[in-house]
Amino acid sequence: MIHAEDVVKSFGTHTALDGVTLRVPRGTVLGLLGHNGAGKTTLINVLTTVLPPDGGTASVAGFDVVAEGAQVRSSIGLTGQYTLVDEDLTGRQNLVMIARLLGLSSRDARRHAAELLESFGLVDAADRKAGKFSGGMKRRLDLAVSLVGRPHVVFLDEPTTGLDPTSRIALWETVERLTREEGTTVLLTTQYMEEADRLADAITVLSHGRVVASGTAGELKAGLGRRTVTITPSDPALASEVLSRNGFEVGRELDAVHVPVSATREVAVVVRLLTDADVDLAALTVTEPSLDDVYLALAAQPRGVLQ
Amino acid sequence: MTTMPASPFVQVGVLTGRSLLGLRDPRMIVMNLLQPMIMLTLFSQVFRTMADAPGFPPGVEYLDYLMPAILVTTGAQAAVWAGGGLANDLKNGVLARFRTLPVTMVAVVAARSLFDLTRSALQLLTLLVAAMLLFGFHPPGGVLGSLGALVLALVVGTGLGAVFMALAAWVKNGELLQTIGMATMFPLMFASSAFVPVGNLPGWLRAVAVVNPLTYAVDAARGFALGAAAWPALAAALGVSSVLLVAGLGLAARGVRRP
Repeated sequence: MIHAEDVVKSFGTHTALDGVTLRVPRGTVLGLLGHNGAGKTTLINVLTTVLPPDGGTASVAGFDVVAEGAQVRSSIGLTGQYTLVDEDLTGRQNLVMIARLLGLSSRDARRHAAELLESFGLVDAADRKAGKFSGGMKRRLDLAVSLVGRPHVVFLDEPTTGLDPTSRIALWETVERLTREEGTTVLLTTQYMEEADRLADAITVLSHGRVVASGTAGELKAGLGRRTVTITPSDPALASEVLSRNGFEVGRELDAVHVPVSATREVAVVVRLLTDADVDLAALTVTEPSLDDVYLALAAQPRGVLQ
Repeated sequence: MTTMPASPFVQVGVLTGRSLLGLRDPRMIVMNLLQPMIMLTLFSQVFRTMADAPGFPPGVEYLDYLMPAILVTTGAQAAVWAGGGLANDLKNGVLARFRTLPVTMVAVVAARSLFDLTRSALQLLTLLVAAMLLFGFHPPGGVLGSLGALVLALVVGTGLGAVFMALAAWVKNGELLQTIGMATMFPLMFASSAFVPVGNLPGWLRAVAVVNPLTYAVDAARGFALGAAAWPALAAALGVSSVLLVAGLGLAARGVRRP
């Protein structure tokens, strides 16, 4: 549904997108992960026809973003990093206006607006000016507005940035419902690994305008993140010494010792080494790598690690 | 579903309606009317002896001479507001959304233009009625001639408004636009036939006034009000206004598309 091939976009001497290729199959959610300035919003702008690419090609819902911009715009919805609603209009007026612009009759537009207000929990606030909405409500209205035309493809550009945890979870549930019930294709950008982990079928990591990794969350973790064994030994100093001597990286934190391991059997090796050295273990935990670990590992490496 | 977007005419209607919702604020209406009333009061009192000056058309009341010019210059000043309004819209997130919708940018700027036309028409109509009731404005051209002057003022204001909208879409900064607007409109107003006959202006100013399109607009409006239609001036005013309108809207639409 979304297909970008070697997309390049520069602003003056700054290259915002340096040959980005990605593909989002119909009905799936792609999480686009990256820090500020990685090129996420620029890519969204190109895919939503707001900015023309300098090089490469991109199509959305089967339409070329340059040659068939109008058709692309008829097929998409966008919830931006900054809310794209008219703050001088009420929530209802915003929805009706967009519905009318998308070709609904006045009566259908009002009915559709009422449905959306209902399903986004905005009925009570419907006739207040959007400018007076709280951050979470504004974002919900923004999402509702972007779904007015029942778009095939929805772009969510950092949809939960600046939201409190409750609003964030509510928005996640809405996105999940959308993909489950409507089969909508979603491209989601985020700085939060947790968000990508929860919502995305596949993840692409963008750094300095390039794709540095892509795969499922599991693949990324397996390929890059290492598990960590955390132990609480009777003698932390001795434990650290024994493990370092045997080639393990060791981190100490009060009574705890952290040992990154790359394979499951190394957990057994750690335990055996410590038993042989007569070190008792009060506790032992093995933690899976988080996407944060993956991201940090990638940030430290040149491109092409996992492609 | 892939929606069939509304026709451009419906789009213009919906978008104009959106702007008109903002006009419900009574403070805006009062402020819109206050300024031209002040202008009318000041000018009619300050310059009333002007009619005795040499070079002034004989037998013409200064108020009858002044009022068409007030209409045109008020219309022209509203043009700056049209640009300011668009600059405000550009700051409002909703315009960023329009770029991602199947909405033509020509509809966006045309709607803005229609809204300002509506606002300006209300303003000028109030001004005209006030001039007739409070200041005894009863020109030889009668009510019909006065309305002719009013319509022409609207046409000129709309043409100029398109230019300021193009400028707004280009600079994307409301304050800068207001500054440019003041810096251009005030000299244009005074270096014209608006307040004194062109022949009474000093030489260099007269040269400016002769090529100033506002002079033709004022002369034509004055022709209507004084009951002696000035056809060449009218043709010039309408011609220049239409060119400005088409070019301005086209450039503004292009500018608005660009984020």
